Amino acid sequence: MQAQTRNRQWPWVAIGLSLAVAFTLSMVSPADSVQGDLVRIMYVHVPAAWLAYLAFFVTFVGSVGYLTTKDLRWDRIAAASAEIGVYFTGLAIALGMIWAKPTWGVWWTWDARLTLTAIMFFVYLGYLALRRTTDDPVIRAGRSSVLGVLGALQIPLVHFSVVWWRTLHQPPSLVRPDGPAIQDPLMLTALIVGVLAFTIVYGSLMVKRIELIKLDDQKAAIEQSIERPVAGEAVTVPDLGASS
Amino acid sequence: MTTGFWHQVSAVVHRDLLRERRRGDVLWITIPFGAIALLLIPLAVGTDAILLRQIGPGMYWVIVMLFGVLVSVGKASNETLPQQDASALLGLDPAAGFVGRATSATLLLLIFEVVVGVVAVGLYDVSIIGIPWLIVTLIIVAIGLALLGTLTGSIVNSTSAGTALVPLLVAPLSVPLLLGATQSYEGLRLGHSILSWVLLMVAVVLIVAIIGVLTARPLQET
Repeated sequence: MQAQTRNRQWPWVAIGLSLAVAFTLSMVSPADSVQGDLVRIMYVHVPAAWLAYLAFFVTFVGSVGYLTTKDLRWDRIAAASAEIGVYFTGLAIALGMIWAKPTWGVWWTWDARLTLTAIMFFVYLGYLALRRTTDDPVIRAGRSSVLGVLGALQIPLVHFSVVWWRTLHQPPSLVRPDGPAIQDPLMLTALIVGVLAFTIVYGSLMVKRIELIKLDDQKAAIEQSIERPVAGEAVTVPDLGASS
Repeated sequence: MTTGFWHQVSAVVHRDLLRERRRGDVLWITIPFGAIALLLIPLAVGTDAILLRQIGPGMYWVIVMLFGVLVSVGKASNETLPQQDASALLGLDPAAGFVGRATSATLLLLIFEVVVGVVAVGLYDVSIIGIPWLIVTLIIVAIGLALLGTLTGSIVNSTSAGTALVPLLVAPLSVPLLLGATQSYEGLRLGHSILSWVLLMVAVVLIVAIIGVLTARPLQET
């Protein structure tokens, strides 16, 4: 019993610890010489955007996995990851807008990275909407896995948009051929720890969400197997008194 | 049906075009709908001739994307379950069915593009430049939209949301085609090379075609 409770609690402990460390580091890191304290949004915005890529890539892997093996476990991974990805994409967009208003003077600009990220958000919103249209887990998995593969086309477009087009959005901060753009060691550490903390959050949420989807599928299977009264069973033939 | 792949494709194309000739969905509904949309835009943004000439090409491509997808989706999602079962029992290769539906949708989309294009030229005074490249762009966009619409139509077929879900799925996915088409026209207008945009559209078309052919059977099984 105690072991079970420990098993249930470890994701929340991991999330709490990692976020606490990331938050502390982002607060003690120096303010930017140009942006001032506004730069602290980056410590949540960049990890959220990273999680969006990671989550949608895992959705792609899960979709391919289902299409090749027909194992519903792959579909659960894809679905859970898409849900988390949509949430973190929305968070990255919202934080980007909050940062853009004081920095660029507008909430939104028609920048390639911003626009394509918004489009990616809608692609996966469509993926989640598609999943809600079918109750049968096998049919749902077959259809959504095709969309999961198709939707992955957006991921490289979004990531490389700042390289391929001359955009207002800055190029990648961490993953660059000539090393990270951030020179201050404390800022760089805070950012890397933030990315790691969000990845732990993602992993923990994935475990929980996959469990929930599995339970949902089991519940649906039980509901289908229970013998239910046939529609119209309660209706009886009216006695018209013909026998008398 | 034990004939070859391409014979099956041509049979599906023939069936779809025959159905279109009888029902006239594209000719009598989608094309007039697109033309009305082109007519409504100037009423909303203003009727200044210079402005309309400027926004005309972009508006044309947006109309092609949004309305054109209805053409291809209709072909894919109008099949009822008994019709699908009959096709499967006849031994129709799902990949041939996909290619056939996409081909007929491409042909209908080309008609849609040409008719709506004539309307756009008339209403917005859009200048036609670089005709060979323009034809190439029209063909690639028609193929790309047809493939995307056919694939998403197959995905949503017989779901509770039906075709209502398709625009949400197709509109974001067709963005590379929209970008390629509009930037190609802009490139032609400015005298720049449009090869990179054409290659982007061709790459999208190839990827969607491959995904469509490979997933045709799993989708039929669901």
